[in-house]
Amino acid sequence: MVGVLASAGVVVLVSGVVALLKPHVPVLSLGALYVLAVLPVAILWGTALAAIVSVASMLVFNWFFLPPYHSFHLHESQNWLALAVYLVIAFVVSALAARARGRRDDAEQRRAEAHALAEAALDLLRGRTLDEELGRLAALTAGVLGVEAARLELGEQRPGEGEQALPVEAGLRCVATLFLDEAATVDEAVRRRFLPSLAALLAVVAERSRLEAEALEAEALRRSDALKTALLRAVSHDLRSPLTAILASADALASPGLSLEPADRLGLAETIRDEAARLDRVVGQLLDLSRLEAGAVEPHRELWHVDELVGQALAGLGDDAARVRIEIGPETPPVEVDAAQVERVLANLIDNALHYSPPGSGVVVRAESGATELRLHVVDHGPGLPPEERDALFQPFRRGSAGQLGSGLGLSIARGFAEANGGRLWAQDDPAGGHLVLSLPLAERPAAVRT
Amino acid sequence: MSARVLVVDDEPQIVRALRTSLRGAGYDVETAATAEEALTVLAANPPDAVVLDLVLPDGTGTEVCRELRTWSSAPVIVLSVVGDEAEKVAALDAGADDYVTKPFSVEELLARLRAALRRADAPAEPVVELGDLRIDLEKRAVSVRGEPVQLTPNEFALLRVLARNPGKLLTHGALLREVWGRGYGDESHYLHVYVSQLRRKLEADPARPRYILTEPGAGYRLAERP
Repeated sequence: MVGVLASAGVVVLVSGVVALLKPHVPVLSLGALYVLAVLPVAILWGTALAAIVSVASMLVFNWFFLPPYHSFHLHESQNWLALAVYLVIAFVVSALAARARGRRDDAEQRRAEAHALAEAALDLLRGRTLDEELGRLAALTAGVLGVEAARLELGEQRPGEGEQALPVEAGLRCVATLFLDEAATVDEAVRRRFLPSLAALLAVVAERSRLEAEALEAEALRRSDALKTALLRAVSHDLRSPLTAILASADALASPGLSLEPADRLGLAETIRDEAARLDRVVGQLLDLSRLEAGAVEPHRELWHVDELVGQALAGLGDDAARVRIEIGPETPPVEVDAAQVERVLANLIDNALHYSPPGSGVVVRAESGATELRLHVVDHGPGLPPEERDALFQPFRRGSAGQLGSGLGLSIARGFAEANGGRLWAQDDPAGGHLVLSLPLAERPAAVRT
Repeated sequence: MSARVLVVDDEPQIVRALRTSLRGAGYDVETAATAEEALTVLAANPPDAVVLDLVLPDGTGTEVCRELRTWSSAPVIVLSVVGDEAEKVAALDAGADDYVTKPFSVEELLARLRAALRRADAPAEPVVELGDLRIDLEKRAVSVRGEPVQLTPNEFALLRVLARNPGKLLTHGALLREVWGRGYGDESHYLHVYVSQLRRKLEADPARPRYILTEPGAGYRLAERP
């Protein structure tokens, strides 16, 4: 419609110019001016409209400017010839212009396709994964195909309602499927040219992703193998020694040939009880560790005051808890965490601190609240840790040089649970002794509590 | 006459250890290995208390507990394992009185059992005295070392529920229902914070509470002895 109106406008315009020039120039030669009207129409709207404009121009020229005026009759036969020549020139010019335009469009389209592919290749080479990139690739493809929206999915897929599906094939293999609106039309030549290139790119990247995933998996396997070896070594030590004590004590109690004083019997029974409790702790830690390693820890978050969590941790530590001094002010804001998990973190930190403090010295648990997090400092007067050993502290199956008890699982579990609850756990430089810091995010909801 | 206790567990070693210890403590002991057997024994010859494993070959302790509660108020102590907190809370909400976590010490189980049996007999007291803490439920007055303590209505309502059941473990759900009714909402999120506030007003050292004790992952209880 725009084309028709513009064509009419341009014919009127040229006719105006012809009318202006008519008194000064032989009128027949002015017919050539109509080629100027045909040319832009051919470039912008193609040969069909240009042909119509050519014929219309000649009719208008004839009607208004060639005698007899306001009639399609012509007095002189040379005028017929001139009109015919003009018409042929207009046709030829319009055909040439349209062809040039088509070439330019085609070049532009190919440039866009090449650009889109290059951009996609670049993104994919930058290490973005195929899944992340599919949305962007689909948008690029939509631009190239000249449709409003498109969606890409890997593999051969069926179209949903109101969609058409175009296979994105490299060779015989369908790498992905392109979904377009049912009503969208796509230039066949563009489709044939662009989709296989896209398919080739996708195929290469998919292959690369697969190889990367395999390498990662192999690495994970290797690491979990190393972990398993360390685990087995630690487990065989940490499970066997209490088991040995239990077995020996129970044997002594059950052996009819031994004459035991009541105090001895009690001692043996107590050994069995204590060693079984130790065994239970190790099993619990292994369970925690395997849940953390498997990513199976889901915190059940509730609002808690940390003094309560510290209290629960202390309750599980028995008589040693008396050596812990707590410095948590009443204004300390609540945190939103899984109580059981954070209690485990605190129990492990305090237990560790008690373990490394020299006899007679205590452990301090101090709270420090910041704008977005709450820091709990667990400080002891033990030997502390040289900086280079600080990160190793949180690796499973390592332990500080001073200690021999336990598998060193406690701190690694503590860090796992801290991180699962959105917190952090690290060792801080402190000349006075061991100093671990647990930071927990403050509750996001307002701490104002109705009372 | 000694109290009769039904032990329900499908692991023979645990049943044997419990039977020996409970008999040693002066109880008559009966045992059952499945939920069905337990319900049969319960119906035929109702015991004074039940020690109930949560995982049974033909069902859960929670189901047994729910069934038992339709006609008996005998105290039930459930045996739970670490990592099964949800089932433990379900059993408590289904009417179990208390729990111990496997592996448990016999001392602890006996203490819980004694307390549960005692509570089953004792009528609720209008005045609860616990060390320096005195709670007068009728006059709505609370004092520590003779000094009156000002509590907000919610804090008192919480303390009242705990004081009406001294020593009994009350789950978070039970506390919320008792204090705010069935339609409680946001309060569930703030329950621990209310308890912390209450402790700060009553306890000398809130991090080492002597009166209001936390049962991690389950609920709260008022101590029977400070």
